[in-house]
Order: sequence, then structure tokens, then C-alpha cells
Amino acid sequence: MRSVYFLTIRQLSGRWRLAIMAVLAGLPVLITVLMLRSADATSVADFESTVLGTMLAGSIAPLVVLAIAAVAFGNEVEDRTLANLTLSPVPRWQIAVPKLLATVSVAGPFVGASAMLTAHMAFLGEWPATIAITVSTLVGVAMYASMFVWLGLVSTQAIGIGLLYIVLWEGFFTGYVSGVRLLSIRYHAIALMHGLDPRRFEADQHVSLVVAAVVALAVIGGFLALALRRLRTMDVP
Amino acid sequence: MTDAPEPVIRVDRVSRWFGSVVAVSDVSFDIRPGITGLLGPNGAGKTTLLRMMTGLAATSSGTVTAFGEAVRNNPPLYRRMGVMSEHETVYGFMKGREFVTMMGRLRNVPDLQNAVDRAIALVDMADAQHRPLDTYSRGMRQRMRLAATLVHDPEILVLDEPLNGADPRQRVHFKHLLHTLAAEGRTIVLSSHILEEVEQLADTMLLIVNGKLAASGGYRAIRAALNQRPYHVRVMSDAPRRLASALVGLPSVDAVHVDPDGALIVLSRNVLDLQVELPKLAQAGSIRLHRVEPLDDSLESVFGYLVEK
Repeated sequence: MRSVYFLTIRQLSGRWRLAIMAVLAGLPVLITVLMLRSADATSVADFESTVLGTMLAGSIAPLVVLAIAAVAFGNEVEDRTLANLTLSPVPRWQIAVPKLLATVSVAGPFVGASAMLTAHMAFLGEWPATIAITVSTLVGVAMYASMFVWLGLVSTQAIGIGLLYIVLWEGFFTGYVSGVRLLSIRYHAIALMHGLDPRRFEADQHVSLVVAAVVALAVIGGFLALALRRLRTMDVP
Repeated sequence: MTDAPEPVIRVDRVSRWFGSVVAVSDVSFDIRPGITGLLGPNGAGKTTLLRMMTGLAATSSGTVTAFGEAVRNNPPLYRRMGVMSEHETVYGFMKGREFVTMMGRLRNVPDLQNAVDRAIALVDMADAQHRPLDTYSRGMRQRMRLAATLVHDPEILVLDEPLNGADPRQRVHFKHLLHTLAAEGRTIVLSSHILEEVEQLADTMLLIVNGKLAASGGYRAIRAALNQRPYHVRVMSDAPRRLASALVGLPSVDAVHVDPDGALIVLSRNVLDLQVELPKLAQAGSIRLHRVEPLDDSLESVFGYLVEK
């Protein structure tokens, strides 16, 4: 497991990729600073909906994760180096799990730091809110990561499909069709924020903390299982 | 009774198709210890067959076993196999030694550093082992990939076009290495589209053409079959009609045709005899030969003949 994990960390840690991640992750922090300096006071509900919900959980987190997760397997498939791993006498889960862990290890610090700084500044150093937002955002990172790692294994167009998913599904349909929200990673990440700190997103309807946590585990485990199945059945290039 | 060793790899009625395209069609053979060459023109289905033999690709029908076990989805079996694919892409950011070490670690090699030293020494890459892989020449990359394939001391070696990019000195070293490994009892399968390359390396040949097994056996038998095929030979001389009259009397010549440009097109089923007789005839008739060239000596036409046969 260690070999695949450290191999993937090195594959994902290209200088340009990390620079772009840093810029993306810095946007919510920058917006928060500008909001705090603005003469027009923004309501807490507006801030939560716009910056935490739409921007952080619905755009920045999935974009950062997509850029990293889609190439965790995607580069191996494209470069035809995946056979180095699949022809090893190790169970397939010892290939898929470290790939997922490496993705979270690279994307997590960017998104987690962004969430922590944004929340800490916006809620004036209030730790329960900061911890709730950071933890639930990191859980969102893990959910997006498992989905996009699988996507990188099944399609060579993973980045394009992932972008469509982020824009159309997370950004559009789940925002307007209430029943579809239950199938949105953003929605469950926000439910976790509310569950961990009930003062956040107070005005909205949420599933309970337990349900959101179970859904998070199901999403991570489900896409991991799909990735394992794909590794077993695919023709390795 | 035969004293031939037991087959290590068994390919049994294997086919593979992609939509309506049949890449491999109903191929069966056994592979025993020693060096077996998989020979065929580009696009013949060699790589698809090798990928199915290593479990990288599924068969559409038929089975592939190694040591009596299915190769597909059988990770424990990969401890006994070393596979070097035709794709030369490597993790360019890694140093050569790092790559071999990682491959050894993935295969749970005991006494890893000594195993890495041994594998790198086998391919004669000790001097370059601490350089990043993306600074290697193509031949060096192939050798370091071979070291990574050998690091766990596999009983079966499957090598797809392993001599690609190798210079003449590296080829000699590689051939010597493969013969040494085979002499230790390993089963080695290698593919190539170059007849002479396989001829020098392999004890047994499998000829694949259009996804089918066209011929198999020792290279002498296959060479003999190739020598019996009808060849068209183009002969330019200063007296084509006189030479044509003389040639039709030769038992090795089936037909002679004179082209409008004065060239003779000779059809022969025994090109070796023709090679000997033609200069003698020319000398006897004081005919000057300007040019003698085979018209259909491409590998594809040679293999095509064997398939039709």
C-alpha cells in the first residue's frame, strides 16, 4: 500500500497543478476578506449560502478534487503504466485505497485550509463553527475524491465529465429541484456543517447528522467498490 | 513416451474480438520452459495474445492458464510472472533504482536491496541507476524496465518487443542474458515482428498472422516451410529473352515472364537453388546480370503464404 500511496503522491504533486490548486483554494478566503472589509454588511445566511455552500462546497472543493482525483488513475491509464500496479501480487483494494488516500492527502490540505481560514475569519474566530465547516468540507473532499478517482478509471474524458457534473448537477439541478438534493454531495456536506454546528445554515431543511454521515460513508465506499470492480474487469492498457 | 517438460502456460481455444473486429481467433498452444518466440507482422494480434496470456486483457472465449491456474484476476500468480509490455512509458520523475525498488516492494521481494542490485547488474545498468528515468535513452529505459521485471526472480517472463530501441551491443547482451535465464529453467515468451531476431533467440516459434496461429515449432522447420514458398524474383539483364529461355529449363523455376521494360519476372518454389543456378546460367550464356531482387519478400507476404498454406 505504501508504495502505491507514495507513487501517487509524487504523480499528483506537479508544481503547476499545486499552484492552480493554491489559487483556487485562496478564492473563498479572498472573497471573505473583501466581504469583511466591505461597508455593506452581508448577512450570515447570505455568506453561508454564497461562500460556504455554493462557492466552497459546491465549486472550489469539487474543482480542486477533480483536478487531482481524475488523474490519480487517469494518468496511469493514459501513460499505460497501470500494468505496473495491476500485475503486482497484491489485492486490487491495495491499489485503489492508496490512490484514494493520496488524492485526499493532496487535495485535503488545500481545501481544508481554505475552509478553516474562511470560517475562522467570517465567524470571528469562533472555533465550533470553524471546526464544523472544516471537518464537513474535508468529508466532502473525500466524497468527491472517491467519485472522481473512479471516473478517472472508467473514462479518458474524466475532467470534462467531472466539470459537467459540477456545473450541471451540483451547481444547477440540485439548486432548483429540491428532491434531487438528496443525490448531491454538496447538500450532504452542508447537512454535516449544520449537524456539527446547528447555527450554520439554520434556515434550510437538512437531513440529520447521522443520515449525512451514513450517506458520506456510502458514497465513499460505493465509488471505491465501483473502482475495485473496474480494476478487476477492465482490460488494462 | 516423451520427455518434453510439462507445459507452463496453456492457451486453449482463445479468441478475442473488439466489436466486429477479430483480433485473435481460436488459438491454442502450450508453452514449456525455454524461450518461445511469438512472431508475426505488426497488427497480427501478438500483443493482444500476450495481454491475454498475462491477464491484462480478458479473452472473449477460451482459457489461458499458467501453472494450471487462470491468469486473469489472479494476483498471487503474478508473484511467479514478470511482464514487460511494449509500451515504454515510465515514471519519468523516478530514478532507475527507485523504479526497480518500487516494483520489488510491490512484489514483496525479500532482501529487497540485494535483489535490486542483482537485477540492475543483470541488465548492466549499475552506472546509470541513480539517474532519473526521463534522462535515459530508449535502450536504457528498456533495460531498466527489464530489471524491474526481473527483480522478483520470476519463473515466467513475458516480453513484448523487448529489443525495441536496443543498440547492437545491447542486443548481444540481451540475447546472452535471455539464454542464461532460460538455462536456469525459466519459461520465457517474447514477441517480435523480426524473423531473424526470434530465430537467434527462441527454441520454439509461434507464428501469428491475422489473429491465427499460422505455424509453430522449431525455427528450422519454419524456415524450411518459408523456403518452399513461391517467390517472384525480378531479374534485369542485357539479354532477357535468352536468359528466359535458359531459365524455363531449370527445375527450380515454375514460370518466367518478360516485362515490356525488359525485366524478367521469375516464379520459383526453390529460391535457394535459383540463387545458385542463375549466375551459372548467366555466365554460361555470357549474359550480364544488372539486378536481381525479390518482389514479395516482405514479412507480411511470407506470413500470408504460411496462412494460406
